[in-house]
Amino acid sequence: MGAPETALAQNPVDQIRRAIAQWMAEHLTGEFAALRHRGGPGDEGADPALRKRWEREMAAGGWTCVGWPEAYGGRGLSIDAQVAFHEEYARAGGPGRMGHIGEGLIGPTLIRYGSDAQKARFLPGIVEGRTFWAQGYSEPNAGSDLANVQTRCWQCDDGSWRLSGQKIWTSLAHESDWIFVLARSEPGSKGRHGLSFLLLPLDQPGVTIRPIRQISGEAEFNEVFFDEAVAEADGLVGEPGKGWEVAMGLLEIERGVSTLGQQMHFAHELGLVVEVARRNGADRDPAFRARLARAWGGLRVMRYNALRMLSGGDDLKLGREALIYKYHWSNWHRDLGKLAMDALGPEADTPSEDPAVRRLQQVFFFSRADTIYAGSNEIQLNLIAERGLGLPREPRG
Amino acid sequence: MDFTFESHQIAFRDAIRKFLMVEAAPEMLREIWETTSGRSADLRARLADQGLTALSVPEDFGGIGLGDLDWVLVLQELGYYAIPESLVDTAYLAAGLLSELSGDIEIKREWLPRIASGEARVAIGHPSNPFVADAGTANLLLMWHNDAVHAVRPDAVKLTAQPSIDNSRRLSQVEWKPEASTRIADARIGAPLWQRLLLRGGLATAAQQVGLAQRMLDLGVDYAAQRKQFGKIIGTFQGVKHPLADVAVAIEFAEPVVHRAAYCIGRGHARAGHAVAQARMQASEAAHKAARASIQAHGAMGYTWEADLQMFMKRAWVLDAGWGDLAHHKARIAEDIFDDQAALGPSNTFSTHYGEAPAPRVSAVSR
Ligand SMILES: Cc1cc2nc3c(=O)[nH]c(=O)nc-3n(C[C@H](O)[C@H](O)[C@H](O)COP(=O)(O)OP(=O)(O)OC[C@H]3O[C@@H](n4cnc5c(N)ncnc54)[C@H](O)[C@@H]3O)c2cc1C
Repeated sequence: MGAPETALAQNPVDQIRRAIAQWMAEHLTGEFAALRHRGGPGDEGADPALRKRWEREMAAGGWTCVGWPEAYGGRGLSIDAQVAFHEEYARAGGPGRMGHIGEGLIGPTLIRYGSDAQKARFLPGIVEGRTFWAQGYSEPNAGSDLANVQTRCWQCDDGSWRLSGQKIWTSLAHESDWIFVLARSEPGSKGRHGLSFLLLPLDQPGVTIRPIRQISGEAEFNEVFFDEAVAEADGLVGEPGKGWEVAMGLLEIERGVSTLGQQMHFAHELGLVVEVARRNGADRDPAFRARLARAWGGLRVMRYNALRMLSGGDDLKLGREALIYKYHWSNWHRDLGKLAMDALGPEADTPSEDPAVRRLQQVFFFSRADTIYAGSNEIQLNLIAERGLGLPREPRG
Repeated sequence: MDFTFESHQIAFRDAIRKFLMVEAAPEMLREIWETTSGRSADLRARLADQGLTALSVPEDFGGIGLGDLDWVLVLQELGYYAIPESLVDTAYLAAGLLSELSGDIEIKREWLPRIASGEARVAIGHPSNPFVADAGTANLLLMWHNDAVHAVRPDAVKLTAQPSIDNSRRLSQVEWKPEASTRIADARIGAPLWQRLLLRGGLATAAQQVGLAQRMLDLGVDYAAQRKQFGKIIGTFQGVKHPLADVAVAIEFAEPVVHRAAYCIGRGHARAGHAVAQARMQASEAAHKAARASIQAHGAMGYTWEADLQMFMKRAWVLDAGWGDLAHHKARIAEDIFDDQAALGPSNTFSTHYGEAPAPRVSAVSR
């Protein structure tokens, strides 16, 4: 199960570790210093313009898309090296990545399903930290039942596409340049058949973006309305009518390497819980200590599981580990949110300037949604029971 | 203890429920939230018309002179409708404390009738809450100082407003100076008064949480009964309906515990603190369960500001930390259980446990 620590001293992983640590020390300074530990989930409102500049700074240093193949502008880092990268990034307080939907979702999807022309056109903007993406899957009547997408698209004589309909809960659409959308291209089709996967720019007359306020008061997600919005002929990924396959491929990627960065943020948050508990004496309560110990254990489990899952290499099919992963982390994180509030006691209820308190309040709010998006708890359990255990499907409509 | 309420208590609760259903719709709560004072004089006047401000005030002072068991049902309704008001602090806690001062004294003559009529708002400053609720609109502040009770006029305090994650609250930090002239009870008289006020604060919290849990459950059930996915009402799926059913069970089990606590306070039981601590634990559990199940049933909709659920979740969450937080109440129960004279085992029936057992040691606030 891997080489002993000492043997790693000069290996490539260690070199990456030291390189990113040094780079962060030199670059997360000056105007960027204000971004330390900012912009994570629940904190998306933290200076998006500056965080976009930070993406370009990262790009200039060659630190975006480090797991992508070199042919597409990445570093082709091994899983181990990516883990090291994420650890050091988080340790240095690296801000939440504005570019994560591009780098983590649509980029890898294009690498797998896109044409050469699409790769040449869209990947550089992501690698260079210039183009920001949103994910247009959910609709008012297509949440858990994603295949019920009703947004229509049709191809014009010149090969370009038109799109009409509505998406909802679209994270960061208001900060994004492009959106990828799942839409119905075959009129009258039902379910997963007859859907197409399209890329289109958000800044055009046919697109209206309306923010939706969240329980925290922030508006991280949006409604996106399409009224004969235009996608170029080149905006179709995969074959017309076969968009479901691409959309599902993307969701598998969502459960992949990008989770490693997330764990590092979780580790930071757990550290903050310990910090406030020390500060206000909650750490002396045995019941609290026991919960904290369990939280720590849960985080380790998450890490081992992710590493085991990723050691399967590119094969990110819905394996056993991938099935259980989302369910585990989202419930763990929701509990951490509650643990954090219990550690804070009365301090939890009043907005604070203290960075630890503020962050934990955001974690509490945001983690209320963790068991809902990216496949709710109930949907995850159905997947585990039906695909994992082979139990018969619950009757659905 | 007989857990049946008297018919007039039920009738009063029903009347209040009907009244709040009309007068305290979620749209109105949202409107009040957005105002600076966070309070509506109009709503207050109508609450007074219903007799709510007079409940705890003795008849001699223009009130109705009812007790904790009458309050508990009303408190559940106030929770259910998340009433943004200083009503509980004024009409239950402050009126309770002032009424329990002995004699026909000036402070009672001046304030109790005004509380009863709904004219006066009274805020309470006690170290178990880091901030004072509704100090900004109070006509009088009852402040703790080394167990003495001080009655302080608004012009003698300096307030710094403190926002809360629950927009229905109006909290302040209060700076004030205890003077001989502000003291209405010294520490010897004050200590037991504060003790009783703390019990009532805890009961009010627990009862409101039970009401809030019911509201969150109702919202979740309503949503699950109309939202469709996969061509079906989502309430059809056991994954959705079972957690909601679990909440219903939690509420049913919390309610008698809360009623028992009200009974113990009303009877002045030595172990009322124990009963309140248990009520707090049980009610908080029901409320958190309800919030979790309801937001889950709502999907992303439950995570929005627009959906009413958030108002009730936030109220339920913040209530946890007031009047002694949960860690304090759990520690209290544990201490009672491990007490040398703890009345455990089959020979200690319900009634002896509460009626005859010696008063427990006062537990230390752990944090
Ligand atoms: C913070 C946040 C960010 C998001 N960002 C994006 C984004 O960027 N892009 C995007 O496309 N979408 C996004 N979403 C939407 C997310 O994908 C959906 O919320 C999710 O798919 C659930 O759909 P829904 O909200 O419509 O809930 P519903 O599908 O209506 O579900 C309601 C409840 O019913 C349950 N349920 C439904 N079907 C079943 C079943 N068969 N068996 C048992 N239980 C069932 C669910 O588990 C849930 O508890 C985001 C959501 C959130 C909360």
